[in-house]
Amino acid sequence: MNTRVYLRRYWQLYMLLILPVAYFLVFKYGPMYGIIIAFKDFNFFQGINGSEWIGLDAFKEVFAMSDFYKTLRNTLMLNFLDLLFSFPAPLFLAIMLYELKTVWFKKISQTILYIPHFISWVIIGGIVYQVFGTQSGMINNFVTSLGFEAIPFLTDKNDWLITYLIVGVWQSAGWGTIIYLAALTGINRELFEAADVDGAGRLRKIWSITLPSLKPTIVTLLIINVGNMIAIGFERPYIIGNTAVRDYSDVLSTFVYRIGIESGQYTLATVVGLFQAVVGLVFVLGANYLSKKLADQSII
Amino acid sequence: MMKVVKGKKKASVLLALTLAGTMLISACGSNNETGNKATGGEATSGKPVTLKVEVFDRGNSPSGSTITNNYLTNYVQDNFGKPNNIDVQFVPIPRSEEVQKLNVLMASGSDVPDIVFTYDSGTFYRYAQQGGLTDLGELLDQHGPNLKKFLGEDTLAYGNYQGQQFALPAKRAHLGKYSSFVRQDWLDKLGLPVPQTTDELYTTLKAFKEKDPGQTGGKVIPLGMALASAQYEPLLWSFIQPVTEEQRYTLTQQLGSNDFPILLPGFKDGLQFMNKLYNEGLMSKDFSLDEDKKKLNEDAAKGLVGFFSEDDMNPFYPDGLYSTLQANIPDAKLSSVDVYTDSEGKHPKPEYAPVGLYLMVPKSSKNAVEAIKYLDWMASENNLLNMQNGVEGENYTLQDGIPVAKADAPDDVKNRVYNWGDMAIISNGKQLGDTDRNVEAYVLGMPEQFQEETRNALTISRSDTIKPVLFDHPIEAQAKYGSALRDKFNEIVVKATMVKPDQFESTFESIMKDYMANGGQAILDERTKAYEAMK
Repeated sequence: MNTRVYLRRYWQLYMLLILPVAYFLVFKYGPMYGIIIAFKDFNFFQGINGSEWIGLDAFKEVFAMSDFYKTLRNTLMLNFLDLLFSFPAPLFLAIMLYELKTVWFKKISQTILYIPHFISWVIIGGIVYQVFGTQSGMINNFVTSLGFEAIPFLTDKNDWLITYLIVGVWQSAGWGTIIYLAALTGINRELFEAADVDGAGRLRKIWSITLPSLKPTIVTLLIINVGNMIAIGFERPYIIGNTAVRDYSDVLSTFVYRIGIESGQYTLATVVGLFQAVVGLVFVLGANYLSKKLADQSII
Repeated sequence: MMKVVKGKKKASVLLALTLAGTMLISACGSNNETGNKATGGEATSGKPVTLKVEVFDRGNSPSGSTITNNYLTNYVQDNFGKPNNIDVQFVPIPRSEEVQKLNVLMASGSDVPDIVFTYDSGTFYRYAQQGGLTDLGELLDQHGPNLKKFLGEDTLAYGNYQGQQFALPAKRAHLGKYSSFVRQDWLDKLGLPVPQTTDELYTTLKAFKEKDPGQTGGKVIPLGMALASAQYEPLLWSFIQPVTEEQRYTLTQQLGSNDFPILLPGFKDGLQFMNKLYNEGLMSKDFSLDEDKKKLNEDAAKGLVGFFSEDDMNPFYPDGLYSTLQANIPDAKLSSVDVYTDSEGKHPKPEYAPVGLYLMVPKSSKNAVEAIKYLDWMASENNLLNMQNGVEGENYTLQDGIPVAKADAPDDVKNRVYNWGDMAIISNGKQLGDTDRNVEAYVLGMPEQFQEETRNALTISRSDTIKPVLFDHPIEAQAKYGSALRDKFNEIVVKATMVKPDQFESTFESIMKDYMANGGQAILDERTKAYEAMK
């Protein structure tokens, strides 16, 4: 089929592509122009073009800030802990949901599990203070009524880490099951029937059928997660965090917010953003490469 | 074929809808314009100049009016716009994101209003430093004699950037900040005197904890604390020792718009006292989570708090803390008291800089003259009084020259001046000639049963005050590190207060080191240099 015939037959498909491609060009590639702010002494009134070039001065300044390293460490630490605890949670949940045989119960459970995903972090922050507060939080009211010392869930930095993780799992685990459940519907039922005939128990079936069929999904999500190691959402650490636990709750995104939005130092904020993007790219490619080598699974 | 036709039909319907929509919108726009033009054009001939003025939108416009079309905007148009052939348009900016929105407007250059403003001195300095503002010095002399007289030198000095008048700060009517409050009924119940010094306060707080006069069932919070200036500043500043002028200039650190005593002698003692109160269970346990004072207000209104410091008038507003407290506990009584005492027996506390909003004219504006004329008009005759209070006899009556709002005025009359604070931009608070009368206006604005205590609180907040330190040029390191160090300052207060007493020294050492390394030292160096240059 020569090109003309091919185009005449499929031009509609290409037309369909135009909108998404335009979206990426306008909203994802266009703003990249702004990256040059990182190499300029950005002046508001002169705009990006009019501002003076300063080479790598801004990078030197950022890399000399002790807060930069603290927030970098915290970002990696919180993300690593999340990877350890929050990443497997939806997997377990999805398998449990899959094993449920009562349809109405399964549906209700799923709905209840999804809800936290739709609650704004600001509201979750309010709930967290009501539940975990030291002086009048629900849990501590109970703890102190039993005669124990109140637990500073929010104000001691180690206890706070646990709170942070629990809240993260609660908020995202249910929603995370969707991808796994979608993958699970693709499993051939005959495999289970054959396993039943062979006398396999439930755990055996999960281990030898369910998990292996989820492997590509798990690996894909893992790569994406590792790629996001250096990036961290703003709301969760900002809202769940507080002054008393700043040692752990201060992360790159809150750091950028502080120097960029609050102090108006756009150049420095852009430097940090660019740094995150470059390191993130290295992480994604690295994770992809490793998984290709070790598990023969990759996304690129 | 059919399909195509159908698609076309759908498309044309959509098109028509969008067209209709845009026409509607533009129709609304042009309606306004012609309306304004008609009113402006009658007075004098020629095309009226359009003066665009920023206004805060708090989303609280009463029904029947909008933020850009209400009693006050019409008042401005009728009394200033028409006679001068100027069409005054108001550009709403949401209050909650004023700086971000203003940044966008300023960067756009062409669309920016002729008069913009912000409460944030850092934003003002940044605009001035980057050359985005008009120097108003000469214009003020030529076109704003009333305005210049009204604002006065002290206030204008805050809008001066390296010899150029890049902003006209609004004048603040009342400079007092903080007062403290004690549960008088608890004192009476225990037969205790009103505490007069910090030591006596400590005894009182202990008694509150041990004897629980409010019968809170062990939930008593003797000292209500929050992670906010109004709560910790009166305490910390009272521990600062007498200082020389040089120390005051060099060792104070201005972060955001407040001065902080972080390097002044005695700061550590203040923190140590807080540490002691916290570890003995005399202070709110979760104060570090309470940056907006919500929890403190809630606890105090529930009758759990024995003593606390607050912005001087805050507890007394209708439906405010005190009235909620009395609704919960009918015989509760709050007294305004001045307790924290320094080594000389005084009750020092910071006061406000004599400024409110920083009013600025962007460099790209072509109507700087009209902008000054507008502000000058506001400062002359009775215009400010009218904009702040409405119509005499309908909105307010004069008692000894002090306007008192008529409580029985119908809602639509009351609503006339619903956003006077945002429209009368040259003043922060009501201006009646002198501070005592300004303060009395606040007092008379409170519910009658609280007026006496309000008067006391406003007297306390004005006594033994510490003025903010002002250099003849802004300290650049403060603009750069200010907001980050503001967070660090809170961290210092929280950590030094909550740590076990035996670890206080080492904790204090390490957080101070962190503070100095992240900009504190840079500010100190620059202030020292600036002070020497000033001498």
